[in-house]
This record gives sequence, structure tokens and C-alpha cells, in this order.
Amino acid sequence: MNTIVTPGQKLCKDTEYISSEGTYVHKGSIYSSVLGFSHTIKRNINTDNNNETTTTSSSGSSSSIPSEYNNSTSEDKRDYIVVLKEKEPGIVPEIGNVVTVQVLRINPRLASCAILCVGTKALKETFNGVIRVQDVRATEIDKVEIYKSFRPGDIVSAEVISLGDSRSYYLSTAKNELGVVFAQSVVGATMIPVSWNQMQCPKTKTKEYRKVAKMDIAGTDQDDDNDTENGHENEKEDNNNESDQE
Amino acid sequence: MSKLSYISPEGLRIDGRRSNEIRRLNMRMGVLNRADGSSYYEQGNTKITVAIYGPHESTTQKSLFDRASIKCEFAMSSFSTSERKVKSRFDKTAYETSTLIKQAFESTVLTHLFPRSQIDIYVQVLQSDGGLKSAAINAVTLAMIDAGIPMRDYVCACSATFIEGSALMDLNHMEERSGGADLLLSIHPQLGGVISINMESKVPQEMFESVLDMALAGCKKIYYLLQEQVKKHSKDLMSNQLVG
Repeated sequence: MNTIVTPGQKLCKDTEYISSEGTYVHKGSIYSSVLGFSHTIKRNINTDNNNETTTTSSSGSSSSIPSEYNNSTSEDKRDYIVVLKEKEPGIVPEIGNVVTVQVLRINPRLASCAILCVGTKALKETFNGVIRVQDVRATEIDKVEIYKSFRPGDIVSAEVISLGDSRSYYLSTAKNELGVVFAQSVVGATMIPVSWNQMQCPKTKTKEYRKVAKMDIAGTDQDDDNDTENGHENEKEDNNNESDQE
Repeated sequence: MSKLSYISPEGLRIDGRRSNEIRRLNMRMGVLNRADGSSYYEQGNTKITVAIYGPHESTTQKSLFDRASIKCEFAMSSFSTSERKVKSRFDKTAYETSTLIKQAFESTVLTHLFPRSQIDIYVQVLQSDGGLKSAAINAVTLAMIDAGIPMRDYVCACSATFIEGSALMDLNHMEERSGGADLLLSIHPQLGGVISINMESKVPQEMFESVLDMALAGCKKIYYLLQEQVKKHSKDLMSNQLVG
């Protein structure tokens, strides 16, 4: 288990395992295609993952995946075999992912931002994304004003809705749990959300407009705000979360 | 001595090897920080660095819709040979070598996994003492593995020739200039396929078999050394991970 394998090394027969990432099938056997460690993944854990692989392989033009691969969804008890690199290839945002972004620039049509995290995983390098004015919220789309929703520097939780053009991903915050999760006021204090579209500075008590994320639904990795008044409670919650995960 | 003798009566070649020995291999992976994959490869006095970038978005218009395209640039440093030459822009031998590498890796890399993208291979010869093509192919294999680009197998290449009645493995510069056969063989050592085979001049038919066997044996030897190096490199990385 976890042995180092090299490209072209025979791993097993394709009747024993299902070929997955970092492997390929050649003449009834599974071979490694990269340098890395060979792992087996139990199939019942990621049944969803299996569906993804089959759909991508059928839509792709590659002919290397044998036809029984598609049948494997129904009554196959084989586990997956993967070879993972020691240099992680890095995760990439995909449609439907909830990502954490930082707003870089705003203009009346869109807010351009840098994608920092996908789900709970931090990216090695950032990707560009834009939140267009029509994707900020679900209702009263025509009355949205970008500068009342985001400011440069805000940390925003958003969903990837399209891979976009060659420059940037298209993101959306048109859900209650999506929106600004962390923002600083003009004086540099962390603002506290007071309503769905306003945040207040604890120092100057001025209110600024934001598209605020409703936090308690989203739950994970967005505990960055509320740290002035409810700090202790949040910490307790954090501890609970952690123990749950363990 | 009127005529240069390539094999001494004791059966030793000019550089002291026997006919079925390759030169000393010395190689490292991951030598360049900026590149996605890189390698340094020494085969005797031939020294080569390879940098690989990609797969990344295609910079040219010629992106292929169903697979990655491979671009290869082969360059000789002007100080790599014994006489300094002014580099010509259209060096035919460099073009030939880069095409050879490109074709070898187009058939080895699982390019269908990266549609519309491009993989760049840059080969730089630092010192040239024959066997450039084979050394370059082996060096690119290492760099590809370092870059983590999925491949069917290693590509191992070795040259062989037939001089003065015996087959010789892994030619150096002097032996290359002898005008012998200079067979270049590149194979998939584990899957067992031939990727390319070319020969510079003719060899008697009954001798061809022995030359081919010699090249094949050379490829196998090189494969074991590459394999050892790759595993060692991987173990080093792993121990670094545990420390860091």
C-alpha cells in the first residue's frame, strides 16, 4: 500500500479495480501514468464521484476508456485505483462549487475578484472571477447597485455559475447564504452585519451597504466576522464544530 | 598511427568502455524552480538540461480540440562543442531532433486528457559528446515525470553502431563520426513497443540484428537507471515532506 509507482508500471488487472486518476487501461491491465503513490478508494464512499467520472468519460472524445466502464455503475463491486502525485496538481473551481473570493475592483457592471478557496481548500494561486450585477442577488435584479453590494477588500462567499470567458469565472451570490462574510469599514474595523443588506462599523457606528451572507446556514469556514460582540460564542461554536469533525 | 582504431586489441573502445557498456549516467530531477518539470542529464560528457512548461493554454492558434499539442525546442549552446559555431536560425539537425522528441512524446503522453492545451519542451545542450538525440529523449522523460504529466510509459533511447566487425552500444562523438550505422532506437521499455528507429547509413543485413539487439539492451539498461533515479527522487521528496 502507498508504494511509489512510475509511469508505465503495471498495477493490476482491470477486473480487480476501476482505473481512475493517474492510471490508464491497456490490454486488460491497469498501468500508472504518473509518478506517485498508488491508492485504492472504496467505491461505496464516492458513489457520486463515480457518476461524475462516467459522465465525463462519455462526453469526452477519448476512446481509451472501455465500454464496460459505463456499465460499472450498476452491479460492480470493484474499488477504484488511483495514482496521486506528490506534487498536488491543485484544485480548480468547478461549476456549483462554493468559493471564497476577495473583491479586487468594482465598477457599475461587475465586481472582479480573486478566488482564494474552493470549498474548504485554499488554492495555491488565485483565479480571477467576476460577479456581474445581475448575479448579485435573486430578487429585484434591476435595482442592484454594485457599490452598495461589494467594496474592494471584502471577503465574499460565492458560487461558481459558469466557467466564463478565458479571463475569469462567473460567480453568483444570489442565495441567502452567499455574499459578504467579512468586510472592513473606512477606519479599518471589522464590520458587523445588522441586516441582509447593511453592516455596521463598531467604532464609528456608521452603516455601510453590503450584500450580506446569512451565516448560520452556510456553517463551514465563514466564521470570520462577528468577532467583536459575539466573539466568545463564536469560539464555542468553533470548538463544537471541530469536535464534530473529529 | 595512420588510421584511428576504434577498438583496441584488448577489446576496449577509445574511452575505455567495452562494446556493450553505456557511458556513466548522472541525472537529477526538478533542477529548475520556474519550470513545471525539469531535469539535468549527463551521459558521459554529454550534458543536457530540459525544462517543461504545461499543460497550459495554447499560445498559438493551432490548438487541437481533442488533445494537447506538444511543442519542442532543441538548442545547442555555442560553447557545447569543441569549436564555437555561429548559430544559424534554421539549424536542420536541431529541427530534426526536436521533431523526433515531439513525435516520441506525442505518442507517449496521454494528450487526450488535456484538450486545447499545449506542453512546451525546451532542451538545452550544455556539452556535446555524441548521443545527443538519445540523451535528449531520456532527459525529457525524466522532466515529464517531474512535471507529473501522465504518460503511458517511459521513453528510453539508445544508439548503437557497427564498427570494425563488432556492434557498439551508446556512441560518443568520435564513434559517431566513424560513418558507421548509427542506429537510434527509442522504446517503451515496460509496454514493449518501439517508438522510433532510424539509421544513418547501411549495415549488412546479417549484422543488423546484432546492432538492434545492442541498442535494445542499451535502452533496457538506461531504463533501469532512470527508474532507480525516479524512485530515489520520489523518496527524497517524501522525506522532505515529512520533515517540512
